[in-house]
Amino acid sequence: MAVQDIPSEDSWKNVGRSIPRREDAWLLTGKGCYVDDVPEPPNTLHLGFVLSPEAHARIVSIDTAEALALPGVVDVLTGDDIAELAQPIHTSFLLEGHRDTFRDAIAREKARFVGEAVAVVVAENPYVAEDGVERVFVSYETLPPAIDLESAARDDAPLVHEELGTNIVLESTFATDGLDEAFAGATQVIKETFRTGRIAGVPMEPRGCLATIDRAGEELTMWTATQIPNLVKTAVANLLDHPESSIRVITPDVGGGFGTKAHFYPEELVCPALALKYGRPVKWIQDRREEILTNIHAREHIYTVEAGIDADGVIVAMRCNMMANAGAYSSYPFGATLEAVGGVRFVLGPYHIRNYGFETRAVASHTCPAGAYRGTAQPTAMLAIEGMMDRIGRAIGVDPAEVRRRNLIKPDQLPYTTVVGMHYRTGSYSESLERALEMIDYSRLRSDQTADRLVDGKYRGIGICCYTENSGMGVAAVRARGWSAIPGFDGALVRVASDGKVKAFISHAACGQGYYTSFAQIVADQLGVHFEDVSIVVGDTGLTPEGSNTFASRGTVTGGGAAVRACLVVADKMKRIAADVMEVSADDIRIEDGVAMVQGVPDMSMTVREIAEVAYSKTPHAMPEGQDYGLEATDHYDAGMPTISNAVHVAAVAVDPDDGTVEVERYVVVHDCGRVINPMIVDGQVHGGAVQALGEVLMEELVYDEAGQLQNATLLEYLLPTAMDAPMMDVEHIQSITDENPGGFKGLGEGGVIGGVPALTNAIADALSGIGANVNVNPLRPSRIADIIDAALGTNSA
Amino acid sequence: MKPAPFEYVSPESEEEVLDLLHQHGDDARLLAGGQSLVPMLNLRIVQPEVIIDLGRCPSLAFISAENGTLVCGAMTRQMTAERSPAVRENCPLLAKALPYLGGTAHRNRGTVGGTLAHADRLAELPAVALALDAEFIARKSGSERMIAAADFFLTDLTTALEEGEMLHSIRLPRADGNHHTAFVEVGNRRHGFAIVGLAAALEIAADGTVAGARLAAMGVGAAPVRLHEAEQILVDGPAGDDTLRAAGEAAAQAIDPDDDIHASAVYRRRLTSTLVRRAVQEILGNEAGS
Amino acid sequence: MSFSKVEVRLTVNGTEYVRSVEPRYLLADFLRHELGLTGTHIGCEQGVCGACTVLLDGRTARSCLHFAVQVSGSEVTTIEGVSADESLKPIQDAFHHNHALQCGYCTPGFVMTTVEFLKDNPAPDEAAIRRGLTNNVCRCTGYVNIIKAVAEAADNMPGGEG
Ligand code: FES
Ligand code: FES
Repeated sequence: MAVQDIPSEDSWKNVGRSIPRREDAWLLTGKGCYVDDVPEPPNTLHLGFVLSPEAHARIVSIDTAEALALPGVVDVLTGDDIAELAQPIHTSFLLEGHRDTFRDAIAREKARFVGEAVAVVVAENPYVAEDGVERVFVSYETLPPAIDLESAARDDAPLVHEELGTNIVLESTFATDGLDEAFAGATQVIKETFRTGRIAGVPMEPRGCLATIDRAGEELTMWTATQIPNLVKTAVANLLDHPESSIRVITPDVGGGFGTKAHFYPEELVCPALALKYGRPVKWIQDRREEILTNIHAREHIYTVEAGIDADGVIVAMRCNMMANAGAYSSYPFGATLEAVGGVRFVLGPYHIRNYGFETRAVASHTCPAGAYRGTAQPTAMLAIEGMMDRIGRAIGVDPAEVRRRNLIKPDQLPYTTVVGMHYRTGSYSESLERALEMIDYSRLRSDQTADRLVDGKYRGIGICCYTENSGMGVAAVRARGWSAIPGFDGALVRVASDGKVKAFISHAACGQGYYTSFAQIVADQLGVHFEDVSIVVGDTGLTPEGSNTFASRGTVTGGGAAVRACLVVADKMKRIAADVMEVSADDIRIEDGVAMVQGVPDMSMTVREIAEVAYSKTPHAMPEGQDYGLEATDHYDAGMPTISNAVHVAAVAVDPDDGTVEVERYVVVHDCGRVINPMIVDGQVHGGAVQALGEVLMEELVYDEAGQLQNATLLEYLLPTAMDAPMMDVEHIQSITDENPGGFKGLGEGGVIGGVPALTNAIADALSGIGANVNVNPLRPSRIADIIDAALGTNSA
Repeated sequence: MKPAPFEYVSPESEEEVLDLLHQHGDDARLLAGGQSLVPMLNLRIVQPEVIIDLGRCPSLAFISAENGTLVCGAMTRQMTAERSPAVRENCPLLAKALPYLGGTAHRNRGTVGGTLAHADRLAELPAVALALDAEFIARKSGSERMIAAADFFLTDLTTALEEGEMLHSIRLPRADGNHHTAFVEVGNRRHGFAIVGLAAALEIAADGTVAGARLAAMGVGAAPVRLHEAEQILVDGPAGDDTLRAAGEAAAQAIDPDDDIHASAVYRRRLTSTLVRRAVQEILGNEAGS
Repeated sequence: MSFSKVEVRLTVNGTEYVRSVEPRYLLADFLRHELGLTGTHIGCEQGVCGACTVLLDGRTARSCLHFAVQVSGSEVTTIEGVSADESLKPIQDAFHHNHALQCGYCTPGFVMTTVEFLKDNPAPDEAAIRRGLTNNVCRCTGYVNIIKAVAEAADNMPGGEG
């Protein structure tokens, strides 16, 4: 009997059920343990970073005397001091057109964005550390900065990295053969430029890090609020030249990540470097101002799309020119590739487009580095393509839902490979659209609309987004993106202990996704044990196998896949042991609810605990011939190329012309992430993402002035949606199971945002289309909406 | 974000407070409910040497009504005022505006005097005080004076209180229009800091027409602005939408707002006009309904 | 600068504590680091996010906006105290069954806010719930399930009246 690699359909018993989460037990009662809650070891030193108030400046001198004189301040270090301990943060890219940048953990010579650390104060407590920060006097020679995307891209812009000779840190082009001819065959070409504002993940827990060193000065342990403990471990090892096998990175509970925490940050290098230097624990907890100033930003994008269509509105050729503001430094481990490379690929969405070309650029600027925020470039890419669908509809006078129907990839075209090489194995593109339209009663909503869209004093509009979501990237996928610092696989160790209880150690980090529950559902089903008997360990490189961790909706596909595969090996061994003890064929054994039963012999059975006792030699019965003792398996699973989920969001909104505010009147989602592990958790991900999208469309924007000062680095001024802003929504599921991974799972962590941004923007655009307004920007704060209405109506002011 | 060190004193009588203020002058800051001051301390935007906590000085927390004039001690918690029958009875506009101040947790601790003396340009109560011609009772060691609302708010975060002077209480005189009031505001999200807010009190004649009007806007300048032209139009104009629109337009023209990252000046004018219409409609609508 | 410490006497979750801290020491830090009650979280230190919400003499307050010394002599209830109070169990149960938390960072603040809200509003409608929660920020859940949980908790609180 060979070990199967795909579980049987009827093995899924816990998977598919809305089991309330296990982690709630501690998170709801104040027993959560976020990094700042880890009991502080005696003698802990606390760090305070001196942040540059200049966007672009030469550091002329740093006077640390007054800070050093402060009681409780232990040391003050500059970039040069840190450079003796740690190499600059850098990864190389296996990608043509990518220009690598180097970032000193503490800036030397030059500061390149407001908020970049230029010195660090080491003190006995965090209050004194801040007192010290105020007493470090840095003199700067101000240099002209390059701030916004288009200015930074100009040839004469001030350079962020002089050695590169340009601010273009990534450029890439692509075209299918015969693209120009295809355009020539179009009946018309529609062109639009979409601009989106800079935003950020802003998890409720800022970052933080505690590093300790053992008494021999060798074993380094770090607690850090990250999504990528294994990647942090590798980075610290390389940059500190410390043996990787002597580093353990633990992510206790993490208070939200959203991609923000899927990057390696300078403080995660400075803390262990100083722990090694002083032989004392070193701790740093980020405050909200630092969080907004220095954690990865995202989404400052410009897309210019040209779509050549035929008389029916079918796209026959498309071009996309994209620019993304990459900020002052390439992020680790993604470089400047994340948004600019992703956007021009994702823009094809669920549509059948065979003639396509792109040009894309990532542009360095004197602003906070950009990188991953939930969805990465997908929300803006889908905004671009879905914006085009609506424009096609308006151009040829066809309902926008119908335009989508005509362009979607049809069921009989699956499996499908896009012209940029994305594989769509299974999906429900048309089916989910039709269901979503039905749920929102689309035809009635449309027929209720007037030509000017004005009903009861408000402009009313409907917005649709059909999208694909990239998930579960394996080795081939990360190589294709050029990422050399990410292994691509993930690992699971599944162990049945001698008491029959199960522990699964999985190379992911939990920051709210419910791993302690959903992974346990998978493991319980694939071992045939009770859900209650399974516990999950994640977020500790000292315990879990190697892997690539938690970003880009990888968890269920890569972690779930590894867990399934390890379980199947362990289950096979359990069957062999049971067969040997009961003297039957292993093929006749089925394990369910913690009991191994023999097919056709109802009174013959053995519990998993009894099997485990054999495996751990706790009974006289020896292991079967050829089987080793123990009952565990480790699997390193490579999911290969991305698995593609899909969904449809439809929003109905009302825009008040008197104050420019938007109300979401109805919101529906039809979501397809393959096999659903825990529907309640999936719905929660969709809700959360959709409300982040609402923030992105209606209020959020990080605004730099021309000098590079961030104008709203507090939660008072960077607005996040609250309970009064969030719409209620109806979410339904379609499950297009895939055979790309053992569980048939597809990732889903980012979908809510990806679908929400275009659906909401299109709904507002539709509402204002009756007065001839063209909406092609985000965010759409009331003031901007009022301006758009004024411009369309030719009115001004009150 | 941790505050710089300071010396802390918590006097238990008003005399002690005034003595300490006299002694420390501008080196000291009064801590009332702390809901505006502590964020600034945490950000180290202000770094006083001495914090004088008014929280243990019970004589500053009171509400009384004298012939319809509501007197509110500076240390009256906002939630206490919001729930006070005396406030609802004598100054409904204040009762209506209070729920817009932050959340319950803020109003449980924040004080009426604290938010007024802080004089944030986006705070609601200064507009209420201005609309109602409130009187501010200021005390310093050995003296007391009254400051009219129109003279109290100088600019953003700055009042007419002098060094060593403390806001003791405010008097909200009963205006005839006092019982026909509305407070409205609009922000970039449904609740939170407003872009523009408007406090309105109308005197409604027996025939249902507007006999007197008091309107004050916030968020349209560095201090709240009284909208006299719009008030006049409401009183003089015939009942109806045209008058409302004209009043709104007059209000929009009377202000000189700025552009910032949250909204344009043009939008602030539009919003002021909209809010004048909304507030008056709300009052007249309630009138009609009652 | 002065580092002189002051005595703070607080009754937290029914137990009296006396500690000596700097006057500038925030109540949030006092609870978390002096008393080890780390269920109270810090998300902004500006009073905006609500993660640090506690009950101060029975009413909600932002522990990041108070100095420990300023509230010396008061009674404080934190999430740890709520969790030990059987009569408040319906709130946490409803959060659990409605999946009203993801990362859990905002959750203690939401629970504390809900405790007071349901006392003040034993039978709230959806609009009232939204208003009651609007000064607490959650970045994960999109609020949908939190609103449902609070509605359910209202139904299940003992006596219907808090
Ligand atoms: S930490 Fe107190 S409100 Fe955010
Ligand atoms: S559950 Fe993560 S912030 Fe609310």
